[in-house]
This record gives sequence, C-alpha cells and structure tokens, in this order.
Amino acid sequence: MLWEVNDDRVFKALADPTRRRLLDMLFARDGRTLTELESEVEMSRFGVSKHLRVLEDAGLVITRRSGREKLHFLNPVPIRLIHDRWIDKYTEGSAAMLAELKKELEEEQ
Amino acid sequence: MTGTTATATQIYQVFIKASPERVWEAITRPEFTAHYFHGSRIAIDAQRRVSFAPDGSVRGDGAVIEYDPPRRLVHEWLSMYDPDLAAEQPSRVTWEIEPREGGYCKLTLTHDRLEGAPKTAQSVSGAGWMFVLSGLKTLLETGEPLSA
Repeated sequence: MLWEVNDDRVFKALADPTRRRLLDMLFARDGRTLTELESEVEMSRFGVSKHLRVLEDAGLVITRRSGREKLHFLNPVPIRLIHDRWIDKYTEGSAAMLAELKKELEEEQ
Repeated sequence: MTGTTATATQIYQVFIKASPERVWEAITRPEFTAHYFHGSRIAIDAQRRVSFAPDGSVRGDGAVIEYDPPRRLVHEWLSMYDPDLAAEQPSRVTWEIEPREGGYCKLTLTHDRLEGAPKTAQSVSGAGWMFVLSGLKTLLETGEPLSA
C-alpha cells in the first residue's frame, strides 16, 4: 500500500453518511463492538461491518481483540493530518470566521 | 474536539516516513521531543521516563515497563503539572513501531489503564495525543516542527 495516497482513502471513507455516523458514535463512546454499533444504525450487520472495514482501511478505525470481542476505536489522527495539510496558520482565522458565520445564520432560521 | 466521553483505552495510529530507529530516537530523546510535545523535554531510558517543561519544572515522571528499541516502549503516565491530574492513579502508554514498505513505519500509541484517571483521560483525548503524533510525523518527515 502506498501511504502517500492515504488521503484519498480518508476522503473516500468520510464521503458517506453512515460512516460519518459510525465515527461520531465512536467519538461519543470509544472501544465498541460491532453488535453495539449495529444496534444504533438502521442497517444489517453485514452492511455495518463493510462500512467499518472501509474506515479501518483508511486508518480512521483501529480494532483490538479483548477476549472474544473485537473492539473498535476511533483514530482521529488522519483527520488531523488533513487539517494540518489544508488549514494552515494563514487560513485558520478566515476558515473559523466562516464556520462561525454559517453557525449563526443557521441558528437564525 | 470537545464533548467526548473519554474511555479507559485510547488508541492512535500514524504512518511516518522514517526508519524505526529514527522514530525511536524522536520519542526517547529530549532534543527531539521539545519540538513536538508541547515543548516538553522528555528523556526515556530503560528505567524511567522523565518530562521537563521549558522552565525546568517536572511535568511527568514514571517507570518504564518495557524498553525494546526500536520496536516497543511501555511506560507509566502520571501528569505532575496539575495537582488534580497528579492525584490520579498512574495510567499506561504503549508505543509500537512497525516497519512497513516504502520506508514507512506504522506507529501505534495505546493509552490505557485510564480507569483510575478520568481527568487525565480527558486531558489527553481528542486534540492531546493527536497534536503530539501529527507534530512528531511533521518533524520526522520535514525536519521542521509543526507551526502552532
């Protein structure tokens, strides 16, 4: 695997609402089993398992065995690296301002 | 990143284009850690891991549990810079360095045994280790510290 192209995998992994939802679920509570994750998503066990594999291939999810269980952990580092790559110290201010403006406008609605 | 419920185990992983020996050196020697570990000068040998703030005060001190250069390092973690954190139970940090194709290393950091250290878990989760590991990668791949 060429690690130089890993950004592509991360963007691809993030380009799906179910996979983003799975990351949010692990962010809220880390180290969960497939069964726990499956119970909160409207999808078959097979479907959730497939999405988790895509996240794992992108390095966004890391699995560990704990006895008979396989636990899923969120690895946020690849997202941080994309942040570092695209949002440097020169643009962070204006990006934060636009994000704030969007939040305010949406709250007004 | 706020609002996370820090759990008893946290795992972080990053691919770094450097040899295992260079990664090991960057983790264990103070002249390297000063560039990416919140300015801390961290010295690690087979017995202890001691971390100093830029002003010379001790930020952390803990026993080294496993010392297997350049592949595996396990040490205790106890933050001393804050009385609330220093009062908690020591937790454990494991660094695993695996060489990969193309001159890359897979670096996996596991911070566990955090059951008795909820405030520490909160302080290192989210941006904490993420910032350290992305800074370490930048330092090794470009030779420059990450601009803060």
